[in-house]
Amino acid sequence: MPAGDAFSARQQEDVVRAIRLARQQSDLPVSVYVGTLEGDSRATALQLHGALGDRAAGSVLVAVDPGARRVEIVTGPEVRRRLDDRAAGLAAMTMTSAFQAGDLSGGIANGVLALAEHAHAPRSLHTDTP
Amino acid sequence: MIARTVSPGSALRRAGLIATATSALVLVAALPALATGPGRDGGSEPGDGFSVLETLFWFVGVPAAIFVGIALLVTAPSMARGPRYRPGLGWWAAPVWFNGPDDADTAVRTATATTGGGGASARW
Repeated sequence: MPAGDAFSARQQEDVVRAIRLARQQSDLPVSVYVGTLEGDSRATALQLHGALGDRAAGSVLVAVDPGARRVEIVTGPEVRRRLDDRAAGLAAMTMTSAFQAGDLSGGIANGVLALAEHAHAPRSLHTDTP
Repeated sequence: MIARTVSPGSALRRAGLIATATSALVLVAALPALATGPGRDGGSEPGDGFSVLETLFWFVGVPAAIFVGIALLVTAPSMARGPRYRPGLGWWAAPVWFNGPDDADTAVRTATATTGGGGASARW
């Protein structure tokens, strides 16, 4: 993880903690990219998602371009079954409302947690009762 | 009750009378303080006056120092925190990738874009 000066240590910690919680609570691998998305932002985000390699299909990439004010959420083909586009859209809205207020790290952390909440597998109550 | 008619002239006279009476009362109340003469209270022993430099120090230097101190206290925390993101003022920092590939540059260059995935886009 290259640590730029985009975030203070505490802000980085917030984002890392949100990513860890998503993995622990919902078994959802989330990757967060903050930087410029050159050219077509969606295509660039898909390319970045592909760069995750083997784990791309089961991962979610959150790409934030603060300069162009764009958020792209890319879900891999596998994870898409758990996390539909509507849920991704809601998480994106959670983030943008915080970004508008200038809270970059808080918005990312909340968005990642929102993704994790939506991806949380619903408990099936009837399988373990006779 | 019958309304009294007040002519402008008598209203003005009344206001003048009240103003004079009030200031006279204040002066009467302050008479003991004026008893010892101007600039000299009973039992006071004034020392030497300030020189020009001392006057400048106490009445310009010290207030300016207090002003600068308070200004520093106000601005120091945000200066220590560094520049923060403000929407619409661009972005200055190097890209950060949390939980990304180990060698990001090579991975991105050699990667094939994901197909069949989903997601969402938004702007603010």
